[in-house]
Amino acid sequence: MTVILRILIAPLVWLVCFSAVYGLHALACDSAFGAFAGSSTARIVLLVAFVLALALQLAIFWYLHRPNQAAPAGFLRFVTRASAWTGLVATIWTLFPVVALSTCT
Amino acid sequence: MLIGAAGIFGLVMVLVGLAFRRKDTIDGDGQQVRLWIIGFGLVFPALVLGALLLYGLTIGERLSPRAGANVVQVTAEARRWEWRFTYSDAPALETTGVLHIPAGLPVDIAITTADVIHSFWVPRLAGKLDAIPGHTNTLRLEADRPGTFQGVSAEFSGAGYDAFAFRVIAHDKAAWAAFLQGQLE
Amino acid sequence: MKALERHRKLTAIWASEEGFKGWFSTVNHNDLGRMFLFTAFIFFIIGGLLAMLIRVQLATPHSAFAGPEIYNQIFTMHGTVMMFLFAIPTFEGLAIYLLPKMLGSRDLAFPRLTAYGFWCYAFGGSMLIVAMLFGIAPDGGWFMYPPLTSAIHSPGINTDFWLIGITFVEISAIAAAVEITVSVLKYRAPGMSLDKMPIFAWYALITALMILTGFPPLILGSVLLELERAFGLPFFQADLGGDSLLWQHLFWLFGHPEVYIIFLPAAGVISTVLPVMCRTTLLGYGWIVSAAVALAFLSFGLWVHHMFTTGIPHMGLAFFSAASTLVAVPTGLQIFAWIGTMWKGRPEMHLPMLHILGFFFTFVIGGLTGVMVAVVPFDWQAHDTAFITAHLHYVLFGGFVFPIFAGIYYWLPHFTGQKRFFYLGQLAFALVFIGFHVTFLAMHWVGLLGQRRRISSYAPEDGWTAINLISSVGSFILAIGIALILIDVLLHIFTAHRGRRNPWNAPSLEWAMITPAPAYTFASLPHITRRDPLHAEPDLAVRLARGEGYLGTPRNNWRETLCVDIASGKPEMHVIYPTNTRLPIVMSAVTGLFFLSLLLKFYWTVPLALAGVAFLAWRWVWRLGHGHDPEMQPCGHGISLPNAATVERSPGWWGSAFLLTANATFFAALLFGFVFLWTVAPGWPPPEWFAPSVTELGTGVIGALVAPLALGHAIRVNRQGGAPFPSVIIALLGIVALGLACGALMWRAPAPTDHAYGATLLVLGGYGVFHATVAALMGGFLAAQIRQGYTSATRRAAFAIVRLWITYTSLTGLFILLAAHLPGLIP
Ligand code: HEM
Ligand SMILES: [Cu+2]
Repeated sequence: MTVILRILIAPLVWLVCFSAVYGLHALACDSAFGAFAGSSTARIVLLVAFVLALALQLAIFWYLHRPNQAAPAGFLRFVTRASAWTGLVATIWTLFPVVALSTCT
Repeated sequence: MLIGAAGIFGLVMVLVGLAFRRKDTIDGDGQQVRLWIIGFGLVFPALVLGALLLYGLTIGERLSPRAGANVVQVTAEARRWEWRFTYSDAPALETTGVLHIPAGLPVDIAITTADVIHSFWVPRLAGKLDAIPGHTNTLRLEADRPGTFQGVSAEFSGAGYDAFAFRVIAHDKAAWAAFLQGQLE
Repeated sequence: MKALERHRKLTAIWASEEGFKGWFSTVNHNDLGRMFLFTAFIFFIIGGLLAMLIRVQLATPHSAFAGPEIYNQIFTMHGTVMMFLFAIPTFEGLAIYLLPKMLGSRDLAFPRLTAYGFWCYAFGGSMLIVAMLFGIAPDGGWFMYPPLTSAIHSPGINTDFWLIGITFVEISAIAAAVEITVSVLKYRAPGMSLDKMPIFAWYALITALMILTGFPPLILGSVLLELERAFGLPFFQADLGGDSLLWQHLFWLFGHPEVYIIFLPAAGVISTVLPVMCRTTLLGYGWIVSAAVALAFLSFGLWVHHMFTTGIPHMGLAFFSAASTLVAVPTGLQIFAWIGTMWKGRPEMHLPMLHILGFFFTFVIGGLTGVMVAVVPFDWQAHDTAFITAHLHYVLFGGFVFPIFAGIYYWLPHFTGQKRFFYLGQLAFALVFIGFHVTFLAMHWVGLLGQRRRISSYAPEDGWTAINLISSVGSFILAIGIALILIDVLLHIFTAHRGRRNPWNAPSLEWAMITPAPAYTFASLPHITRRDPLHAEPDLAVRLARGEGYLGTPRNNWRETLCVDIASGKPEMHVIYPTNTRLPIVMSAVTGLFFLSLLLKFYWTVPLALAGVAFLAWRWVWRLGHGHDPEMQPCGHGISLPNAATVERSPGWWGSAFLLTANATFFAALLFGFVFLWTVAPGWPPPEWFAPSVTELGTGVIGALVAPLALGHAIRVNRQGGAPFPSVIIALLGIVALGLACGALMWRAPAPTDHAYGATLLVLGGYGVFHATVAALMGGFLAAQIRQGYTSATRRAAFAIVRLWITYTSLTGLFILLAAHLPGLIP
């Protein structure tokens, strides 16, 4: 089972972070949150979340690429590392709007 | 976008077609993997899609409503199967089935609904935006010349959905002023 | 023993009852796979006829064929039938039929569950069709947006048929998914490590995991909407603290993965069939597995692209636009890996290959239009027009129907043991291909001209008349093509013309048996050393028939197979399957009674049906009990293996684990709904908050902590040969305490019909009570087993399973109680 979990972990963490940042953004733009909504604090919170997500992915990436961590068989190591890449690239690709776009329009 | 898509489609079909040439079978996957999977499978889509994404986001950003002077405010409230429009510049006015706007000025339309979900769509002026119970969505649009534009509701709403349409009339300066005075009917 | 004698003996052990009676009691994957496929195909024909009605209606302006009331039912049922009753069950049927054969096993993990799933599907699907025949079919579109589908705007029973019927059918999807996951992970031939699995098994595994995590949000949505309709709990009513957007989130959280749940198995068929058609091996096996994993995950991060026009701020949309473009990368990777495979080999133009080419042509277009609508501003125009309908058919027909046709023609000789000899199939393909593209290219076009989807009529002034007529003509060509395929297949089945075994010279195990496949699949189980076992050993089939593999000697009237270690494929335990029984069909009939009672609002039969299900479930597992310690069984090739009842992680444990995965997704979706309503819905705060109670919270928390600890203690005592009974009883008490605390929450929740807050608390409490009941039943079951002497230090599998459920119940119970009480306790 751990071999399967090792394959799933990086993209799973991406999914969680992705949903969390989306939720955070929805809240950051909800007028119910008063002065916070759309302010530069909101942007900073989002940026911090992005950086955290990235750091988490890098940690997983590093963990799965440690020589003794990958499963011995070449195939499983390959798939595990490929999904480490998936998680990392997906994090950058899908969350970069945090940096580039206007927050709440 | 259409041309790019057609190009990619053509390329893929040519590659599929060329597979049927007479040739020797190839042993050893290494080089094939590099060509097909890394080259065509990863790098090529990533480049094309990345570019497309940036392009789409740039346009989307431009279309988003932004606070500014001189934005005309109107409200559109949908119900099955009729649109009612009110105007912040003339609070007493309400029109049904016809939305009046000034030409050449940005207009913010606050869209709501009194019953089910509907969608405000004037294809020539802007994309759709839904009318959702309990929420108000704001659509920015601008007609660059006076005229009449067809609009429809674009979210399925039951039996009367087919004919659920409205019109947008964009007025020149004088006509808009007259409309706000209630002198236009 | 001679091969023939072995065949006779095994057949006697594995055969279903004679004649049509056998359908009701069979638990064999061979029968059930075929029954699934047959039923799914019937639904395909029904859905296809509905599609023809749609195209008749739209062929001319101001059509008088059907009024909107009927037309709305037609397109809703077309979409619903195709998605829920055709596409998913076709995958299930194919996987159920093929997997044990490809994996070198004799059946799936839980044969009775396969049967139960089938009957749930058949009954639930029939409910919808009956509704249609009476003219009271659902009519809110296949995604059923409230408030249009809420009681105020759709007072009839139509919507209830959808919510209840589809939930009934989903049970079968979840059952099949658990089944497939455990089978792929554990029920393989010895030596078949993960990297030697046939590629189809990878796809099936990933798809099954996606079903387990994708369907629960929809089930939750359906439950909530039905609660709103039946009892007035306002989850989706904006003026009472609900929000119709919650439905959209829940639905598309399911709906987008659904598209890949449909596509991935088809991709599995292509990855299997294409290399055989090209006389080569699949290019980049590891890459393709990785791409499928990536696809599975990314597809869960796309759901909001169906909601681009709901007024979410642009950055929110941008996340999903980005994810939607990214998902095209692994899709593209697979396409190019297949093209590379074709370049590597020598493609031959057999009929399956034609359909694969049809797939390439169609699916690539569908993918490209998909990328277009992932671009937000484009979608703002295209959304809800015929362009979208056209796009989704390019993806679904191209990405599913063509590959399935390829698969049907490829595996037909396996089902029938016969050879094709007509050229009808080629003609049929040409008609389908041409008809399809005429129909849907025209629809792209008319969509760009502004024709909305789901309209029942348009005016001549709109200028869409000619295009719609062309599209309708195309759809009739398509229909004729599909009818010809049907005739071709029937002709094939009924004209005897014996073909040779493995006619395609395929490398995978399902061809290493006589065809049509015998009920026991393999006379003895192979040892796998390579990914292409039949190319490695061309005479493997004969050797297996001679009994040279594992379990080659039929004994004790047992239906036997082996389980292996997940990663390495080392044989790990010996499994004896249950035999023919009517329990599954009876249990699904009683389940059906439950759903029917809800539908017809006969509420007094609901508890009756629930008690019936509980009773049958008890019998279901009780029969698996052993009165004495089973010995190690010699399994051939000099290995002896322990029985599945004597291991820590039995098949039942794995099944429970994956069922609980689905359950946990359901629970997470419920918590998400709670947070969503709280933060996003208009109409908050509620008029009245829940009054927290330290006593209730304390009782529940203590119960939730005690139960798993006590059961853990019971396990340790049992392992050391002691008496576990007292600890099990303590665990039971803990669960009861937790259940009472959740019950109190339900009892004291602020008026649930007044505000979504109270309604959500009621549902959370209900979830806790339900699970406490289930866990208590299981604890009671374990206690009864101990009393009967059905457990021992060796026979310990049941303990681990019960522990899993009790731990899960405790965890979710803690969440529920904390979510309800804590906000009030924190000042
Ligand atoms: C057999 C050939 C088929 C034809 C001619 C056909 C035709 C159509 C047409 C014309 C519509 C649009 C109605 C409208 O909204 O204006 C439609 C809707 C739809 N079709 Fe098909 N279809 C076919 C096969 C399929 C298949 C195989 C699937 C899925 C696996 C499918 C899934 C759907 C769905 C989900 C909708 C949307 C229904 C809704 O709006 O609620 N169709 N189909
Ligand atoms: Cu989607």
